[in-house]
Amino acid sequence: MNVPTEHLLILAAVLFSLGALGFLLRRNLIVILASVELMLNAANLTFLAGARAHSSVGPLNLDGPIFALFVILVAACEAALGLALVIAFYRQKQSVDIEAAAELRG
Amino acid sequence: MASPLFYALSAIAILCALGVVIARNPMQSVLNLLGSFVALAAIYLLSGFQFLAAAQILVYAGAIMVLFIFVVMLLNLTDREEGQPILMGLFNGRVIGSLAVFAGLAVSGLISTTGNFAAVDASAHGGDLDNMESLAGVLFSKYMLPFEAASLLLLATLVGVMLLAKRERSGSQDGGQA
Repeated sequence: MNVPTEHLLILAAVLFSLGALGFLLRRNLIVILASVELMLNAANLTFLAGARAHSSVGPLNLDGPIFALFVILVAACEAALGLALVIAFYRQKQSVDIEAAAELRG
Repeated sequence: MASPLFYALSAIAILCALGVVIARNPMQSVLNLLGSFVALAAIYLLSGFQFLAAAQILVYAGAIMVLFIFVVMLLNLTDREEGQPILMGLFNGRVIGSLAVFAGLAVSGLISTTGNFAAVDASAHGGDLDNMESLAGVLFSKYMLPFEAASLLLLATLVGVMLLAKRERSGSQDGGQA
């Protein structure tokens, strides 16, 4: 596939800003977690675009794929932990709306 | 040759990401996320990252997505949310969100104006940019410590999730441990 690296980076930037948008705008905890996953995916795409750009000239660059692998791992942990928190939160408040978590608001 | 495919997949990924953000129903949101993951996996595959594409499908589209759908169905969430203004507090969420999108678009614009748009091609390495043999070689030598730390992280997550999701005993006022 002969696509410029810049186009991969632009795709990653757009996906990241959509994820940030969802993170900031939505109030459903599950959708917020989904937006975080979207942002982590965009970060992964950036790692891979960099690795691809570096591999096209010199020797194979493996740091990018390795870091993408670690990001996938952390994303899996984050999703499991986040969803467990959502379940614990729902048990307390009968809701997954972040509006329900306002005890610490001044 | 594969460029139109790449742009079509990018469009799918972006549209699905948009669907995640604007869908009213959490289930629709999560299914849109699945579409975005699959489109990204196809892009990885096109770019020459075969193992990462497989990992993306297995971990994201498989495990994480099952977890999300499981929680949505467990909590039986319908679309009874978001009747009111979208974010609380001092700042207007719409303003912050628009700023985030504009920042992203500005970064994209900056990249596209300063880049030289050289087409990159994975054919130098036979189209396989993450050869599993060399990947394993690097993972178990240079990245040995992060690898072990990752296993510790997984263990800690396992224990933490079990502790968090465990239902409290109903009669726990008689001094039972947490």
